[in-house]
Amino acid sequence: MSIDTVRLEKLRIKPLDGQAVKRLVEAGLLWLKTNQQTVNALNVFPVPDGDTGTNMMLTMTSAWNEIKDSGEKHAGKMVAMVAKGALMGARGNSGVILSQLWRGFARATQDSAVIEVEALVRGIIEARDTAYKGVVKPVEGTILTVAKDTASAAEAAAAEAQDPTEVLARCVPAAEASVNQTPELLPILKQAGVVDAGGKGLFFILEGMLRYIYGEPLDTPLATVRPLSSLNLEEAMQEVEEGQDYEVVVDFFPGQKFELQKFYGRLEEMGTSIQVGEGDGMYRMHIHVPLDKRYEPIDYIMHIGTITKVAMENLTAQMDEIGAKAKNTKLELASVEPNQIAVVVVSPGPGLSRIFASLGVAAIVSGGQTMNPSTQEILAAFENLPTDKIIVLPNNKNIILAATQAGQVTVKKVQVVPSRTVPQGLAAMLAHNPDGELISVSEKMTRALGEVQTGELTVATRTVEIDGVNVKEGEVIALLDGNLVASSKSIEEGVMAFLKKARAGEHELITVYYGAGVDQSEANRIADVVRQAYPGQEIELQDGGQPHYQFIISVE
Amino acid sequence: MKLGIVTDSTCDLPADLIEQHQLEVVPAILILEGEAYADGPGISRSDFYKRLPEFKTPPTTAAPSIGEFAGRYQRLLDCGCDHIISIHAASRLTSLFSTAGQAAQEFPDQVTIVDSLSLSLGLGFQVLAAAESAGEGLAAALAAIEATRKHLRVFAALDTMEYLRRSGRLPGPIAFLGSLLNIKPIIALEAGEVKAVRAVRTTRQANTRMMDFLQGAGNLERLAILHTGAEARARAFLNQLMNEISRSLPHEIMLVNVTTVIGAHLGPGGLGFAAVRK
Repeated sequence: MSIDTVRLEKLRIKPLDGQAVKRLVEAGLLWLKTNQQTVNALNVFPVPDGDTGTNMMLTMTSAWNEIKDSGEKHAGKMVAMVAKGALMGARGNSGVILSQLWRGFARATQDSAVIEVEALVRGIIEARDTAYKGVVKPVEGTILTVAKDTASAAEAAAAEAQDPTEVLARCVPAAEASVNQTPELLPILKQAGVVDAGGKGLFFILEGMLRYIYGEPLDTPLATVRPLSSLNLEEAMQEVEEGQDYEVVVDFFPGQKFELQKFYGRLEEMGTSIQVGEGDGMYRMHIHVPLDKRYEPIDYIMHIGTITKVAMENLTAQMDEIGAKAKNTKLELASVEPNQIAVVVVSPGPGLSRIFASLGVAAIVSGGQTMNPSTQEILAAFENLPTDKIIVLPNNKNIILAATQAGQVTVKKVQVVPSRTVPQGLAAMLAHNPDGELISVSEKMTRALGEVQTGELTVATRTVEIDGVNVKEGEVIALLDGNLVASSKSIEEGVMAFLKKARAGEHELITVYYGAGVDQSEANRIADVVRQAYPGQEIELQDGGQPHYQFIISVE
Repeated sequence: MKLGIVTDSTCDLPADLIEQHQLEVVPAILILEGEAYADGPGISRSDFYKRLPEFKTPPTTAAPSIGEFAGRYQRLLDCGCDHIISIHAASRLTSLFSTAGQAAQEFPDQVTIVDSLSLSLGLGFQVLAAAESAGEGLAAALAAIEATRKHLRVFAALDTMEYLRRSGRLPGPIAFLGSLLNIKPIIALEAGEVKAVRAVRTTRQANTRMMDFLQGAGNLERLAILHTGAEARARAFLNQLMNEISRSLPHEIMLVNVTTVIGAHLGPGGLGFAAVRK
């Protein structure tokens, strides 16, 4: 592979000392942030779940916050700070693995005041090894594989590379090739027609570093438009920035002189949370703007195309409403004595939090699908409890690693009971005994996870065929213990399809937790339908309040 | 020296054993919609549990009068007993023990009052142990009670939290009492108190756990399967038990529909056991 010598003249990281590391980390973060939505869209299941791009971006942001004010010249010391920040801010499985990569890299380079080729290669190799060791069962076709292939490229470059930039210049294309290869290694990716999101995120971080060295811009995404179906506008609403009071969505057909790059640039002058999607030639633009600029995007788009629809909403009013709702749910959490075991749960909805509280949990971290809490947030939930015996129930498969990592960075004794769903977490909670012995209680709680089957009902975010089920965007899909089992035209059909798959007729109890998007009368109606179909089973209806998932159901 | 034994109706011993050991059993009182019934003759157990969910005012319980106890003591002394052991339901759960204690004051040095720290056959097995060694004197009988109590395990899987919740007779905090989910608590009697061991949501889960707890108790000398108006459930459990762990079971296993006085606080549909380890 030949290296572009013209570009190398623009080298901006020589020597690779502490301050150069800092600039590279910032570049990696910026480029990932710019491409965050692209990574988020790489979702295997057509369900709204932990957004990998956002998780990795927040993990990198935490790393950046650790170093942004530092004048440290020593490269190894700077990397150590990066690793610490990444560790505390790690969210979601990919975020945790990313933090492990930094940890390994930091370990190998801790004594290097300036990182030369040899230390860089050693760092990348150690990063790979640490990440693999941090995962109980490493799966190929994921971010781990991308880390591995990147390390191989670094190793191969070691002998001839004159400086770190050359190593990086070899690693980036290797990472990209590896990302593109992931569907061949992980069949589920191929089925879904996507590449691995975590791997793609890692690629963007590395590419961002290289783009910085080459002096290429980091703040504008390569002009690509997402399919309309992958626009997640509901999500976008939840991230309201100070002063950006209005959400404006405009549908339009662009005129002949439409230039995407210029379009993005102009929008960025007006506001934030910009998303642009395209379907059948129609574009949808989404943006958050301050009060006095609320008509600006509309005026601008009128000049470059034909507007078909405009929607505007006052975000502050909406957020106030959400905030008021949240304030009403003051929870009575269990108080623990110094030698007792405290349980910390991750809960996705206010109703579920109330139920967890009624069963004696000591602390609740808000989060779940699409909002994976960080290692730091989980840690903060139990750091101040007056006991050092802690059990964490993550209640989501994407939060288990972050919870485990939180347990590793504290002096408290922490056991993670790996609950993958809310019903599993509730089943585990019933086996809790605050006065028991930590290991034995956590084993009992772990055993209880198998006592329930979990159903999750949501609306498909795109069209795909997976696990032999044909899913059309907008249909209701049902997951049984995390596996897609049905796609239906209505919620009612979805619920019934799940119950059939779960063989509910052979069990005793069906508990239905209805989500934030379902009103109580509709929930009652569905519960009645279930009651009629399953007269031999007890049906319990509970207000779960979880977002995105219309129903979470347990069968036991 | 002839030793007489007095207990109360919460011991749940069957009539033949009461007769065989010549036990004096003081009936506790059940108050049902304003009327007081003596435990046993007043209302049949199966009838009571069937009607329990429908009573407008939840039934309550009371201890019999001091005179009731004193009468039993007098009768045994008149029949030639030199001393009496009066052993009763856990003092922290009922007032039977303290009422007996007041009655005993009228018979200085003639009555030894014992807090069984238990209920149902947990008490009954202590009574039996005392009766079986009564011939060897007071000290031997008290030692037999002590030995039984030390090896005693009493568990109950309740069908609902409701009755326990409103009974209001629970010392100390009970886990899951505030549960928003309908749960089925599994409780144990430990040191005379009710302790919530864990909770489950289905009868099947409850039965599995109860089997685990029973297996965990090891080889058994005495065993009673208890239920509150749930004979079919108790029989099924017993059958499963015989299939799974017949080796460490005693020859005789009692199957007991628990007294209404206890059942009023536990609710119908419950399954329990009292076991004495070897």
